Amino acid sequence: MNRRSFIRFPAALVVVMFAASSPAAPANANRDAIFAKANSDYAAGHFRQAIDGYESLVRNRQWSASLFYDLGNAWFRAGEPGHAILNYERALALNPAHPEAEANLRLVRDQARALELTRNWPTQHLAFLTVDRWTWVAAAAAWLALFVACGLWFSSRRSASWIFVLSLAFAIGASAGFAIYELKNGGESRALAIVTAKEVPARLATADNANSVLVLPAGSEIKILSTRGDWIYAALPNQLRGWVQTNTVALVRL
Amino acid sequence: MPLRQKRVRRPANRISRAVHFVGVAVFAAALFLPTFGLFAEAPTATAVLTSSETETGRPVQLQIKITGASNATPPGNIAVDGLDIRYTGQSQLVEGRNFQFSYSFIYNYTVMPLRAGTFKIPPQVLRTGHDALRTPELTLNVADSPVRSSRSNPSPEPADDRKLAFAELVVTKAIAYVGEVIPVEIRLGFNARIRARLTDGPQLTGQGFTTQKMPQPQQNIETINGRSYEVLTFKTAIAAARAGKFEIGPIEAKALLQVPRRSAAPRSPFDLFNMDDPFADPFFNDPFAGLPEQREVDIKSEPATLEVKALPPNQPPNFAGAIGAFTMVTEVKPKAGQIGDPLTVSATISGRGNFDRVAAPALTDEHGWHTYPPSANFKQDDDVGISGSKSFETVLTPNERKSEVPPLIFSYFDPLKEKYVTLKSDPIAVQIEGGAAPSATPAAIAGSATPPAVTARPSAAPQAQDILYQLTESPAWVDSFAPLYARPMFWIIQAIPLLGLLGFIGWELRQARMDNREGQRRAALQQEASELQRKLRRGEGNPDKYFAQAARIVQIKTALARRVEPHTVDADIAVATFGLTGERRDHLRELFRRSDELRYSGSPNGNRMVPDETRREVIDLLDSLS
Repeated sequence: MNRRSFIRFPAALVVVMFAASSPAAPANANRDAIFAKANSDYAAGHFRQAIDGYESLVRNRQWSASLFYDLGNAWFRAGEPGHAILNYERALALNPAHPEAEANLRLVRDQARALELTRNWPTQHLAFLTVDRWTWVAAAAAWLALFVACGLWFSSRRSASWIFVLSLAFAIGASAGFAIYELKNGGESRALAIVTAKEVPARLATADNANSVLVLPAGSEIKILSTRGDWIYAALPNQLRGWVQTNTVALVRL
Repeated sequence: MPLRQKRVRRPANRISRAVHFVGVAVFAAALFLPTFGLFAEAPTATAVLTSSETETGRPVQLQIKITGASNATPPGNIAVDGLDIRYTGQSQLVEGRNFQFSYSFIYNYTVMPLRAGTFKIPPQVLRTGHDALRTPELTLNVADSPVRSSRSNPSPEPADDRKLAFAELVVTKAIAYVGEVIPVEIRLGFNARIRARLTDGPQLTGQGFTTQKMPQPQQNIETINGRSYEVLTFKTAIAAARAGKFEIGPIEAKALLQVPRRSAAPRSPFDLFNMDDPFADPFFNDPFAGLPEQREVDIKSEPATLEVKALPPNQPPNFAGAIGAFTMVTEVKPKAGQIGDPLTVSATISGRGNFDRVAAPALTDEHGWHTYPPSANFKQDDDVGISGSKSFETVLTPNERKSEVPPLIFSYFDPLKEKYVTLKSDPIAVQIEGGAAPSATPAAIAGSATPPAVTARPSAAPQAQDILYQLTESPAWVDSFAPLYARPMFWIIQAIPLLGLLGFIGWELRQARMDNREGQRRAALQQEASELQRKLRRGEGNPDKYFAQAARIVQIKTALARRVEPHTVDADIAVATFGLTGERRDHLRELFRRSDELRYSGSPNGNRMVPDETRREVIDLLDSLS
């Protein structure tokens, strides 16, 4: 490789990288424009147009906690508390530390009398960290345990303090793994869904005339257990289970 | 040959027996596995009469059904003045609905009315282990003859002249109210000596009433006027839609009968009164007359009349059309909580009547409560759904501190008492405390939102709450709801500590290898020293080699002790290393001097052999170096 080609290669690399990244710029500009337009529609009181704008971003997988929060506000203004609660939940799923979404969710949930799923004991007490943060804890503990274990393996004398550190790291890692498992099956489950229609009856069987187990107000939480055709078998608030129609609920996590 | 065949078939028999055994075991497991959950629910007891109205001398059946308990003791003697109640046996019933199986014991009694009147069969207490179950109180209305009930054909004399088949319609009441459910029995009888197949019906015709779907009939043999009939009993219920006098029926059905051919022979001389003398059977006249004659017959009963009265006025406010006799039991779970927490109020309406019009009991005072629409579940105790229990679950959320759930009320019309009855439960104590009040403002939660203008002064009317503002800044965009551990970036980041760990392992391995090389070098030196020491003990070699080897041993031992190279060791270093003093120090220096002298002078100084005395001193010196 001569000197000229040595200089030419990085230059070509920069050009290729720029070319690869350049289409994103108009896309980002377009995304921001749609978001700004939806915000202005909302400010003007055109909530349906605002919803359409926000939803177009959602459909294109342009997601953010603030987008879902704003979309929840628009649905609330449009008189759809179920959809509002769904989008606040989505905002909190992306950013659990979103104070505005948390406040509005609580307010709308109280107004809609939405029912919540009962959290079990581990979920209640482990939710002070999110799944992502527990994941970092688990990773850090696992690496620490691996380093200490390797050090002890190669060491001629194994000190009690390093064995204690190893045990502690292992215990923390296992606890974090348990917390991740519990939270993923509880409050942060992918099966968590929100009732978007009003007064949805949960039934004993997959028939419109089957006995009703519980009538779910809009915004109520359910956990999908299985799906059969147009019906979903779900865990309901108050430790109940029943069938609800698929088109009356939506998953929190897309 | 048969023996050989048997021998050949033995393994097959064994296999088929094994397959049969496995099949039986699987079937038994499938049969009994669900029963593990049978007794999980709280046991319940109900009691029903096959008819709440009868006449003197006409018995009715009493069934006491216990569900969810296997060790219940049935009441032995039920004493009611005017009724003769006798235990007739028990049966067991497994019911499955939506894969929820329940196992029930049914204790049957025959109730024979001895006189007319209204009788109360008191609640029966059934012991199941530590618990006691109570059946509801039952009412039996016994009329004098002629009966109050309407029977299309009072004497069950078959209508057909040839006594092959008959139809009978039994309506248990002659006077009823609009909406009241009236049990109806349809009985189709066929001469037991012929083969009969029902091809159509039975149909219950008439206007002004609704009919429930008929379940499968019960089949039994009855003797009527000295003849045996195979009787199919269809049970159903009707409910009048308006007031007036109605004609119920007649019942119409079609059946295909296999009738023996009649011979043309004259009547038997023994059958003077046309009593169906068995010897008059055509078989005795013409045994080879061929197949029996197939005949399709229309069976029709007499109609029954029913007088329907309108419900009296002054209905209670929460009356929803329930007519019958009912009891109510209520329960609340949980009994403690915070404001806004949901409570489930369960109300069970049991008894006999039109359960499709039984609506959920209402709270007498809904102030401070938010009620959700109730759910309902009906469990019938009989074939037609007149008797049973309907459970309602209503979710309530308290809006303020509460110490009790207010009473629930349920109203119905009792056709026997001919008046409206309102059941009212007792208030149920609960403990609802403040705390997570739903009135927490979003502003307070968000912290950064606009604070209330006056926070110290309580306002008389709570301000309408509103959601917080829009966030208009361009947000941080993401494209996944996947948890961190499911994202590729997380695992790419894990490569950093992984590389660190691999580097650490590599460094440790290098250190170990280096330690191993040093060990090998030391082992080689030790081996060389041992070898030389053995040679010195054997006294081999001339003096120049002898002293050179002795000096080499000292150098090796010193080098091992000081972790240095042997060739860098001289007499002073060796003396210092082993701390030699006095005579030993001199011997060591002498040893190095003579070794150097012999090595550098080129020829030995003195004898060709090392004296024994000198050799012993050298070996002692070398042994002392450790």
